[in-house]
Amino acid sequence: MFFRSFGLLLLAAAAQASILTLKSPRFVVSDSIGTQLRAEPISLEHRTASPVKLGGRDTLKLTFQVVEKEDGKGVQPHQTFLRFYDEVTGEEGIQPIRVASNGKAKFDLNPSKPPLSLPPTPKTASGEVNPLQLTLLIGSPEHEPLSIRLFDLVLPPSQPAPVHPDEIKFHLQEELFHTFRPDQKVPNKFISLVFSGIALAPWVVLLGLWSQVAPAPTNLLSPFILPFILSLGAFETLLFTYWVKLKLFDVLLYGAGLGLVTIFTGRQALASISAQRKD
Amino acid sequence: MFSIRRWCLLALSVASLLCADAKSSTGDSVLVVVDPKNQDQYSTFFEGLKDGGYDLTFRSPKAEGPVVIEDDAPNFAHVILLAPEARNLGKDITPQSIVQLLSRKTNVIVALPTKQSPLHSLAAEFSLILPPPNTPLISYFPKRDTPSTLIPIKIEDHSSPALTKHIEPVWFSGIPASLGSNPLLVPILRAPSESFASETTVTSGSADAVADSVERGGEGLWAGSSLSLVTGFQATNGARITFVGGAEIFSDELAQKETERHRQSGNAAFSREVAAWTFQENLVLRIDKVEHHPVNATEPNEQYTNNDQVVFSTYISKWNPTKGKWEPYSGLKDLQLEFTMLDPFIRTSLPPVRGAPGKYSTSFRAPDRHGVFKFVVDYKRKGWTSLESSTTVPVVPPRHDGYPRFLSAAWPYYTGAISTSVAFFLFSTIWLAGEVNERKRSKGSKAE
Repeated sequence: MFFRSFGLLLLAAAAQASILTLKSPRFVVSDSIGTQLRAEPISLEHRTASPVKLGGRDTLKLTFQVVEKEDGKGVQPHQTFLRFYDEVTGEEGIQPIRVASNGKAKFDLNPSKPPLSLPPTPKTASGEVNPLQLTLLIGSPEHEPLSIRLFDLVLPPSQPAPVHPDEIKFHLQEELFHTFRPDQKVPNKFISLVFSGIALAPWVVLLGLWSQVAPAPTNLLSPFILPFILSLGAFETLLFTYWVKLKLFDVLLYGAGLGLVTIFTGRQALASISAQRKD
Repeated sequence: MFSIRRWCLLALSVASLLCADAKSSTGDSVLVVVDPKNQDQYSTFFEGLKDGGYDLTFRSPKAEGPVVIEDDAPNFAHVILLAPEARNLGKDITPQSIVQLLSRKTNVIVALPTKQSPLHSLAAEFSLILPPPNTPLISYFPKRDTPSTLIPIKIEDHSSPALTKHIEPVWFSGIPASLGSNPLLVPILRAPSESFASETTVTSGSADAVADSVERGGEGLWAGSSLSLVTGFQATNGARITFVGGAEIFSDELAQKETERHRQSGNAAFSREVAAWTFQENLVLRIDKVEHHPVNATEPNEQYTNNDQVVFSTYISKWNPTKGKWEPYSGLKDLQLEFTMLDPFIRTSLPPVRGAPGKYSTSFRAPDRHGVFKFVVDYKRKGWTSLESSTTVPVVPPRHDGYPRFLSAAWPYYTGAISTSVAFFLFSTIWLAGEVNERKRSKGSKAE
């Protein structure tokens, strides 16, 4: 209901709506001393082709007058905004321009004292700064809205926009890898083999001497001797197995049983030997 | 007799299945706080919710009940506060109780008033910075015959993660909010870039007032496409709250109004989408289970040893609102797994497994540092339920018998030890079994 009545009111206003235009719009870029570096009128039909570059101490001055197209009367519209838009990052800044009641307006932009509304212009990966698109937006209840694309503006680089510390968790994060310690260095296998050979070398001496002495194990199969020799062999095997796979308590258990047997067989064997040697 | 009753029951259950075309993952009961005078204005929105299977309870802002929280438990799964012009929404509906509702996993839709109200301080708690009172959103673009405060807004597809389908342009009337940098915010509807918040010229707005507002400093001017008109916020516990700049967007009048000639506005579809996101129908995920085990095994280890190759898998389901049940979901392309001890040691992608719906799996080598590690899946994306899972597992150095047994570097030691043993055995054998006679004995003594 509210909308409808209000709409009717506005419809009445729209009937007399006229078209707004800009009179003598132009921009001037000057350096810190005041020397004009670039001064051009702005065309309303097509935007200025080459982007406007602004150094850290330069000033951009924009002047125009908002007038009604029909009678050239100056107008102070409700909305006169300069929109800075970075197409790549989507950052946007809106700066209202103060227009006098006769429609005259001027706007100064000094990058050393940037207005709060200016979007951040950080350096991109290529070291360049993305140009900002400048658009003039003029809106008024009694007139047709006007949107004029002015030119592209290249500002000196600034700090990037602040980011919430948790923001990073809402995107794909960088992969991390653990750096492992390098594998232990092992000497060449050939060297190991040579030294194993040296460790085995006394056998040559031993076997050589044995061939000279050659005591033959004639009593090996004697029922008193064989069990002791077998139980000694079992002990050696148990210790070898311990080293390869058994646990200490297993070894103690098996060793205790084997020890009892060995004591018994040892007594038998030694007794039989001493009996033989007494003869 | 009995069989007839059973048939009736069966028919009823089938009918209820057919009716329920969209269901929330957290419940169907909805409390709507709305002025009974205005209730008819939103009938399209309410009918849409009822068709979706929701059970709507209406309450006047002046009424005492039904209360939202009773005995410390929420009475409704969802709450819609659609009475922006009311000075008070009720004794038990305060900014504090709305925060309590969220912490108890109740979803809330809040329509914000243009005038000053307690809801402004609530919005501020959710990083929404609202313009001063009585400054609605205004746009003179495009030229049209509606008031400047009633704005048609085009919605680009995929402009917000919360909107899952194409929506025709919508009408909006209300206030904008500028958003803080809080990543839990999900802007659903952005303001047009030509729009701004101001008093209308019909009241006392003027060009000078707009220019002054910036020069005064502070928050400056609410203008441009960085403003949000409908803003979602997903709390860390998964509950969702949506702030709507004006209740009119849900109204029948705007739902039937044409944005262009013979083209009905998208308000009805948009309202349904806002409700679908807020009431956790859309973009709702959960982790069903996680599992880990060494490569070439199926059972998990109590602990892992340095350098073990470990397999980690997780099963993820997505809520299907049309069927009203959880379904395995393999559509996440950017899931990541972290293996952390205080800091992540390993962060790797957790890709979906082909042929196993809902399963995501990866394998990696356990780091050569020992300590208490965690498998962490922490998936946060705007608009989606956040997935969090943490499984603690110790990583230990190898046991005393866990090292390799036959190092090539130690071959000389092995041969030395083994040859000593063999020599001892041989000597014992010869000594025990050797022939004992005079000749040998004398020879033996010579050898000594």
